Amino acid sequence: MLMPPFELHKPTSVEEACEIASQLLESGQEFDWIAGGTDIIPNYKWHINTKPHVISLAGLEGVSTISMTEIGCMARLHDISVSSEVHPLIAEAASKVASSLIRRNATLGGNLCLDTRCFWYNQAEEWRSSIDWCHKADCGTGADCRVIPNQNTLCVATYQGDIAPNLMVLDATVHLIGPNGARDMPLTEFYQLDGMTRNVLQPGEFMLKVTLPSDVSEWVGAYRKLRLRESWDFPEAGAAAAWKKGDKSTLRVATTALESIPRRHDEEVAESGGDIKSICDAVYNNTKPVNNTSLPPRYRRNMIKVLIKRACEE
Amino acid sequence: MSGGYKQQPGSGSGEIRKDGKRVAGKQSFAPPGSGGSRPVMKPRDLDFIPEMVGGKEKQPAGAHIHDRARTGTIVGKSIPLVDANAKVTGQAWYGDDVRLPNEIIGRIVRSPHHYAKVVSIDTSKAEALPGVIAVATGDDAPNKFGVLPVTKDEHAMAVEKVRHVGDLVACVAAVDEATAREAVALIEVEYEVLDSIHDMKKGLEDVDEPIHWRGKYHVGSTNVQKRVFQEFGDRSMVENPNAMYHGKWKYMGVNHGFTEPHAVVAHWDSNGRLQLYTPQQVPHYAHRALATVLDVPMHQVNVIRTFVGGGFGGKSDPFPHEMCAAILARKAGRPVRITFDREEVFWVNRGRHPSHIEVQMYADEEARISGFDIDALIDGGGFASFGHVTSYYNGVLATAPYELGSFHYTGARVWTNKPASGAMRGHGAVNTRTAVEVGLDDMSEQLQVDPIDLRLANLLPPHSRTISGFRITSNGMRQALQEVRKGSDWDNKFRKMPLGKGIGIGCGFFISGSGLPIHWDPNKFPHATVHIQIDMDGGVTVHTGAADIGQGSTTAVAQVVAEVLALPIEMIHVRSHESDTSPVDLGSYSSRVTFMNANAAIRAALEIKEKLLNAAWDTLGYHPDTLVLNDRRIYYKHDPAIGMSYLEALHKAQEDRGALISSGAYRSPPMGGVHKGAAAGLAPAYSFSAYVAEVEVDVETGLIKCTDVWAAHDCGKALNPLAVEGQIIGSCHMGLGQVLTEQMVYGRTGHLQNPNLLDYKIPSVHEMPNVTPIIIESCDPEGPFGAKEAGEGPLLPILPAVVNAVYDAIGIRINDLPLTPDKVWAAIAKKMKVEGIDDPADLPVPRLDFSELQKKLEQRASEHEIRDKRRQRSEDTDAYVNGVLFGFDPNLPLEDQVEGWKSADKPEPEQLAELGLAGKAWLKQEQRHMGGER
Repeated sequence: MLMPPFELHKPTSVEEACEIASQLLESGQEFDWIAGGTDIIPNYKWHINTKPHVISLAGLEGVSTISMTEIGCMARLHDISVSSEVHPLIAEAASKVASSLIRRNATLGGNLCLDTRCFWYNQAEEWRSSIDWCHKADCGTGADCRVIPNQNTLCVATYQGDIAPNLMVLDATVHLIGPNGARDMPLTEFYQLDGMTRNVLQPGEFMLKVTLPSDVSEWVGAYRKLRLRESWDFPEAGAAAAWKKGDKSTLRVATTALESIPRRHDEEVAESGGDIKSICDAVYNNTKPVNNTSLPPRYRRNMIKVLIKRACEE
Repeated sequence: MSGGYKQQPGSGSGEIRKDGKRVAGKQSFAPPGSGGSRPVMKPRDLDFIPEMVGGKEKQPAGAHIHDRARTGTIVGKSIPLVDANAKVTGQAWYGDDVRLPNEIIGRIVRSPHHYAKVVSIDTSKAEALPGVIAVATGDDAPNKFGVLPVTKDEHAMAVEKVRHVGDLVACVAAVDEATAREAVALIEVEYEVLDSIHDMKKGLEDVDEPIHWRGKYHVGSTNVQKRVFQEFGDRSMVENPNAMYHGKWKYMGVNHGFTEPHAVVAHWDSNGRLQLYTPQQVPHYAHRALATVLDVPMHQVNVIRTFVGGGFGGKSDPFPHEMCAAILARKAGRPVRITFDREEVFWVNRGRHPSHIEVQMYADEEARISGFDIDALIDGGGFASFGHVTSYYNGVLATAPYELGSFHYTGARVWTNKPASGAMRGHGAVNTRTAVEVGLDDMSEQLQVDPIDLRLANLLPPHSRTISGFRITSNGMRQALQEVRKGSDWDNKFRKMPLGKGIGIGCGFFISGSGLPIHWDPNKFPHATVHIQIDMDGGVTVHTGAADIGQGSTTAVAQVVAEVLALPIEMIHVRSHESDTSPVDLGSYSSRVTFMNANAAIRAALEIKEKLLNAAWDTLGYHPDTLVLNDRRIYYKHDPAIGMSYLEALHKAQEDRGALISSGAYRSPPMGGVHKGAAAGLAPAYSFSAYVAEVEVDVETGLIKCTDVWAAHDCGKALNPLAVEGQIIGSCHMGLGQVLTEQMVYGRTGHLQNPNLLDYKIPSVHEMPNVTPIIIESCDPEGPFGAKEAGEGPLLPILPAVVNAVYDAIGIRINDLPLTPDKVWAAIAKKMKVEGIDDPADLPVPRLDFSELQKKLEQRASEHEIRDKRRQRSEDTDAYVNGVLFGFDPNLPLEDQVEGWKSADKPEPEQLAELGLAGKAWLKQEQRHMGGER
């Protein structure tokens, strides 16, 4: 495997990063952000949608905060998982990501902005050429989606991040910054249902930090992750639940790895009247995973009932 | 003399003048070294000298021919492998670590199609690219090769056709990898795409364009590469069985998953000889194939085996990329290095065959096993590789350890448009073994007996013959079963644990070296040869061709030489990397290396020992029979003060001769039957193993966690218990992968979906159970110091043990490996529907009430135990053949005893209608009988 050639930019401040991004945008040059690199580097080595420029966020000052109400984009997952400052649910979720080696490098921002995954897509260049490419990385051919054939408008690659559903049930807000300034929004509104667009980030924009409500420490919850191996594996399905301590009526539930985005299930919870089984059934009914991860979609869909039930157990 | 006997020879200090002048005839040599850093001799370690020759080491299995060669030095002691330091300090040089001056990088152009004719290849653009030094295509190497002489069907690069996605089409060499990759993209290949076959069942059908064409031996116009029929015994015994198991099994293909991807460096030296560096398990076959493909005599090729980062069977074929590197290097006049990406490793594959195996097993009213019917259809992928042998092994390696009334096997291997399957740890035996051991579990439930007792009452004894004619020598099966039963607290757990917890048993049987070597026999060449050379410094250089692939063969050879010569292991230097200096060895496959190489090494060491003892006789005046070797000294056994150091004896022995040199060889004895295929599965010894696995099954998710394994393996004699335990634990890991998570997934379009180590699910450390290795030592009469294999056999039992444990936990048998949670969950859901249950927590779990047969079996087992002990110790040397349990006289030919006793290697016409899936291959005729291809 050989890394394709690219130019690496190493800004030391947020302003400089935005400046470099602006310049590249103005000159019409494509680029990617790199934080911990644990997601993008394997993709680059497979020559998937590589860009001539890569801007590293690793040298930015002041973006690695870890506290109960704020986590910086460059906070390493290992540091989050062992932190006594951070909400225990976030620490738990971070500790379940990939392997200990990867968690030393991987960042919160990278995990939240994780590229969507699909076994027709996460493959070497030679392999993808043997299937005549796919919609998500069509190499200019306009290739069809290989999961749902005969269409090339929607990408159904799966979002397989662990931390997003946990931040969602704790009502987190994401803070973005870019050449056009800063903005923030609830994490639930950050994602966009398409495996290629993935989220609302505009060209040149990146995630600066995540903040949590001031009463977050009063919330408790759990995260349940379905995977074949206790290490390395992305979630095949995941469910997070949280509620204000002693008050199950505040229950929030979110899931991941079932479609192109993680999703909070406020409607299903509201309609259930607090009955966990109804929530499970409702989420099950509203979820239609596709066949692009290791385990079959029918199984993953059924397991979401078990995962939600177990996440809601006290 | 305080502290013991000094090791330094000669040189009293008074003999050298203080004024620096020489004494006539006396020169001041630097001391050649005493051998090891300890100045005095250690006492003999009687705990490691057999009791038969005056030591304290217990010998429950009786004396061994090598007892007198034991010195108590190192055999039987746990030591780190001799190459461990090189590996943990990063100094071991693997394939991709080789760097030669002026080297360039090769890349391979691979087929994007499953099956296609190569119409034309245009390399001009690639050749014109600056930095490209050489380009080669199939036209550069038209000669065929293959690991088995009977099935040479591979080319270095496609000649005429490509047979799977990733098949080799052309190759380029350039100044760096980036340029090579760019050049690969510039090679234009025109293909004519053909209809590809992905389902192995389709391989049995006639097609217009079979993947290979075998001329007059081609079976119809199908894709059947090999078909096998074997039938032994009295088939009427299976009528009206007391219990019967019928299982249709499906196995996904698995890959070896070794750490080091394939890598090769080829270099034609200044004399025009090829120097090829490659991490090969079987350098000798690569050597032969290179000579054939490159059209050079074998002596013009030097194969240098680098350190091998794991093989498990996956580095035992001669590989096309090795040919490519040599071809490119010859064209370029510069060394060429090719290193694979992981995808390429999966594309070259040679992993375990995807298989459909149907098993029918029968037990009679005495709970004797009256018959096995096995039908195995295996998916060979695009090439033959070891498949000819695999086709046999899937059947014949199930003929022990149990005594059978009859045996019937049909097997077929078909070509499909996938990467080739081949040999993988437990070659050919694993899948059938799983089905058979699960079948025994099922039959014991029908018979209402304990499955361990069912096995104990049906075992072949030591020194017996299987139904197919294999010669069993030492046999520790019974003891293995007893040990795991005790260790696991089986009797208090089996069928007694709550829902979701289960315990299961499985056994294994494997060859310890294949008795018939692939390339060798007509000339009666030895299977293994070892050369020993000792110069005046006392260091012992051992030349062997045995390929250490991490299993520890170098250590085993060093150990036995150290043992015989009573030298510290630091004084033994094994040289095994180069074919120029190594005697020919057949390689690391079929678990042959310890058995064959260590035997050869013992013979070579004994020759050296004799020379040393004769020299000591000259000096000391005591006959060699009265001399003892111990820790670098030779002395009179009744008075250690009368002796000399090893070095003194060595120098005496070297007088007028120079270095001591010896050669030892091993060749397995003649054995086995005469029927077609009789040689498949023949081995000079067999290993036996029994595992108990304990599992937890999450009944809501179907996730299985194996928590504990008690693993007993009969390796004859553990030369190095640490290494044996490592093999047992490693085998558990590998087998657990196949039974729980590992699979090569070919998707809707026939593409391999998971050719990477994230999606190909090798268990992590979290999935590893607590493994309790239990070493059984049956002391094989022909093994080196009694040793047999420990590298492959230990893999077999873990699969059925887990499957049986899952049944014990949830009452469901799943015949579709791996047992991924989705399959388990679906089976649970199905059972809940059948039983009308809403909550999986209400699933019924199997319980066991013994029938009257149980007592009978216990009685028979205890009688057999006495029988076996007597046979093991050669107190009873009467012949024993499979069938005695059914009342046969072992001294009469079997066919004379029972009407209907058969030994057949092809089906009778009236049998054709009732053959299983693979047996359908026998419905076709070979071309020569159809008037074709004369």
